[in-house]
Amino acid sequence: MRRTVGRRGTGDLLIALVVTAIMAALPFGYSNELLLFNFVTFLALSQGLNVLYGFTGYLPFGYVGFFGAGAYGFALTVMHLNWPPLAAMAAAGVAALILAAILTPLLRLSGAYFAIASLAAAQSVYEIVANPALEDVTKGPYGVSLSGVFAPMFSYQVGVAVLLFSLVVVVWLRNSRFGLALQAIREDTVSAAMAGVSVVRGRTIAWLLSALIAGLVGGVYAWHISVFYPDTAFNIQFSIFATVFVLFGGATTLIGPILGVVILYGVYNTIGITVPQYFQLIYGVLIVALVLFLPNGLVSLATRRGIRVP
Amino acid sequence: MLTHALFGGLLFGLYFTLVGLGLNLIFGVMRIVNLAHGDFLMLGAFAAYWLFTLFGLHPLVAAVAVLVVFVLVGLPIYYLIVPRLLVSRDSEMLSIILFFGLSQIIEALASIFFGTTERSIPGRVLGTGPVRILGQSVPSAWAFGAAVSAVAVILVYLYLYRTRLGTLTRAVMVSRDEALATGIDVHRVSAIAFGIGIALAGIAGVFEPFMLGSVTPAIGGDITIAAFAVIVVGTLGNPLGTVLGGIVYGVSLLLMQTYLSSWANLLPNLLLIGVLLIRPEGLLGRQVRRA
Amino acid sequence: MLRRALLGLVALVPLALARPVLAAEAPSEIKIGHLHAGSGPYASISMPVYLGLKLWVDQTNASGGAFVKAFNKKIPLKLISYDDQSSTATAATLYNQLITQDKVDLLVADSGSVLTSVAVPIAREHKQFLFDPTGTGATFFQNNPYIALLADPVSTIWPKYIADFLKDDGVKAGIKKVALLYSTNDFTGTQATALRGFLKTPDSGLEIVYDQGVPTNTSSYTVLINNIAAADPDAVIALGYTGNDIAFLRNLQDSGNKFRFLFAIYPGIETDELVKNVGPQGLDGVFTYVTSAAIAYKPEVGPTEAEFRKMFEKANAGSGVAYGFNAIAGYTTALVLQETLAHADSLSQADLRKAVFGLSGKLKTLDGTFELDEHGAQIGEITPLGQVHPEGKGVKITVVYPHDLATGKPVFGKP
Repeated sequence: MRRTVGRRGTGDLLIALVVTAIMAALPFGYSNELLLFNFVTFLALSQGLNVLYGFTGYLPFGYVGFFGAGAYGFALTVMHLNWPPLAAMAAAGVAALILAAILTPLLRLSGAYFAIASLAAAQSVYEIVANPALEDVTKGPYGVSLSGVFAPMFSYQVGVAVLLFSLVVVVWLRNSRFGLALQAIREDTVSAAMAGVSVVRGRTIAWLLSALIAGLVGGVYAWHISVFYPDTAFNIQFSIFATVFVLFGGATTLIGPILGVVILYGVYNTIGITVPQYFQLIYGVLIVALVLFLPNGLVSLATRRGIRVP
Repeated sequence: MLTHALFGGLLFGLYFTLVGLGLNLIFGVMRIVNLAHGDFLMLGAFAAYWLFTLFGLHPLVAAVAVLVVFVLVGLPIYYLIVPRLLVSRDSEMLSIILFFGLSQIIEALASIFFGTTERSIPGRVLGTGPVRILGQSVPSAWAFGAAVSAVAVILVYLYLYRTRLGTLTRAVMVSRDEALATGIDVHRVSAIAFGIGIALAGIAGVFEPFMLGSVTPAIGGDITIAAFAVIVVGTLGNPLGTVLGGIVYGVSLLLMQTYLSSWANLLPNLLLIGVLLIRPEGLLGRQVRRA
Repeated sequence: MLRRALLGLVALVPLALARPVLAAEAPSEIKIGHLHAGSGPYASISMPVYLGLKLWVDQTNASGGAFVKAFNKKIPLKLISYDDQSSTATAATLYNQLITQDKVDLLVADSGSVLTSVAVPIAREHKQFLFDPTGTGATFFQNNPYIALLADPVSTIWPKYIADFLKDDGVKAGIKKVALLYSTNDFTGTQATALRGFLKTPDSGLEIVYDQGVPTNTSSYTVLINNIAAADPDAVIALGYTGNDIAFLRNLQDSGNKFRFLFAIYPGIETDELVKNVGPQGLDGVFTYVTSAAIAYKPEVGPTEAEFRKMFEKANAGSGVAYGFNAIAGYTTALVLQETLAHADSLSQADLRKAVFGLSGKLKTLDGTFELDEHGAQIGEITPLGQVHPEGKGVKITVVYPHDLATGKPVFGKP
């Protein structure tokens, strides 16, 4: 038994490394690295959402709040403290962790309440960052420009490193006692608690990890695009896209969110750009159809037949 | 300025009671969160816009038309979606995702068919200039919105407490399982409540272009949040508590806009989080923890 | 499953195939890269620019192409314009696409400061000259050789005539207290800052009694108007985008408040759109910027404003896009492109820049005289102060300041 878990873990890790290697190599053959960077962003972001939703069942509509906190954590330390980009990346992660710590009480809420309250929380952070009264600190609604640290290739590869981190976290959760305990909590909180699993501690750790990933992605995003506005960094589309990618592919798996991003975001970049409304329509129909007919995502086509999906 | 903010807030808040009323009715009866609520409201606003532009129909007439059409539209939507949802394992969570998808569909369709430019109905339709009530001058649209809301609340009250169907509806609200056990046709009762809930959103939408200036297909999301804040403050699942929720929302919003205008948009979000964390049963609710 | 993941990712690779490099001989077409906002808050200022540009491309191709001096012949044009949906994130990716994949010869930014702002660092990074129709943010032009603003003046210049008028005619008419309400974005925020600077000089005789920035997506002004009225100003200056102006003017009409002097940006810029949504009565007496739509400049290149309006309305009948200043801005941008191609020694970005700056002070179009300062900021195509008067079912705009351009006398409201 222990051996199979170990071997599965190795297989999962191999997938993570291969995906990372491909994303790291692609810009050498294809020059619109910003498009590739968007893929990296969503690959990492959807794994971050997967950490929380897939393993605890909490669906944060306001996930973009951590992303935005990371983007501004990065921007503020660069602008005001002249930190080098890699140090500012650490600040991005810390900013998201602080926000997550402040918002930990939201975990007391269940299901729909949690989802909406987290959205309201993300909106609140946006309203504060974008407020003209804070123009001296955050540049308010006028947006930040980080042209001094603009470095497309370097920041791209740092983004790939963040992606690797997010994939490894998911591999770890899927193959560790801690991850199994989390899933036990999700399935049946009361029984898990009686079996000696610390519910609060488990959920909090997943919450912080998930926020950390979003914060790091936000930080590297800020670095890569270098000019952005609060409504770019807190755009609800980030939450929507990440959620749909995870649901489409299948939560709790490693491969599900990857499939979701590659297929759906790939389609988005071919047809979504010319006819955005039709694309929104397709997204909406997909969501409704998934909930009604395939609530566990694409991978459940395989898992239903007893095939193990990494 | 203070009295104006308080009085204006009362009227504005009464309108927001109407905005939240349908959402709360649906939640109360079905325990599902209709995240497409704001989008149904947007459709009501477009209905009013087209009825006025093409036929010159007065918003009050449009409101009656919207009521009938939306109830009729709501019934099939209910039967298509909700029974399937309610048997699933985590219906509350799935409902929120599903209705989110529905909201995307409605917004996309509206963008395709109506375009994304801002549409407005001339203010003179509801009377030009301000009206004076109790020594305060307020835009006539606010007085209209508040009056229509008051009528809607009274009608919902009469429906719930003075009709047989209403009594059955309240039985389902108290306990769906017990209602089922006593032989009530739960689906019929719920479908009608669903239709009424959507129609209330539509009627609120008819007055939206006057209260909020203009309508675009994208307004739904923010309105859903505001509506949710109103009903959470008011007490989830208690349609009449929405009156209190709306007034609290309206008065505090206008106070913020008057004295701290750049922070006013923060308010609905903070109200929502604050009430959910501190008093999840709402201001009027009993000490039963639902959240 | 691993294979499936790989296959999915490999699906991206065909995108990666590089295009063949162009030889030095004359290209079969000149590629113009552009973005427009088909939806969202900036659609109303972006679509007219796009359609103005497109009109010129269609006209030029119908006559066999644009004359390109570098190859001494006419070459057809190809306009590649993507929809950024008013999103800066989408716009950034698309600008990159235009530069790195489509390898466009001429890069034209989207309309407005916000959607231009993301193009500035990208164009600079790729050493691609950015033709900027209406992105007026002052910071774009600092230490940046890869940009020129083509169709309207930099935002710090816009409000100069408002301030001069208030200090001159305004003070004489008894105006003292000024209220300033603005939307917080690059375009109107920088104008508010500039205006504050102009008005706060010790000898201005004016006092700012209300100064408030609100989010650009504000749609209800009722309470704000009430707050402004409570400060009892003589003059109210409202700086916002089209949607803000519509909501503000409607709410003002509903509130019954009147001020002696009221300024709004868009009545003079997107006049038709404002008349449609606010009505002529709601615009009565409003002061506004006057653009070339209301001043008949005598162009040396291209059509007059009246001729252009006919062409534009004919070409875009039923498109739902109203004619206004941004349509002129799109066409002005196109004329600058035309003259640049006709004067540049090669299509290298350095020669393009040289050609654009060479036009400064010499090019006279329907938008007035094209003139750049040394940083590429537009200083020629000015925006005088005008006033709206209802006329039949529409409105007429008279220029009231500066005095040498004036076509009518200012009319102040009753105290």
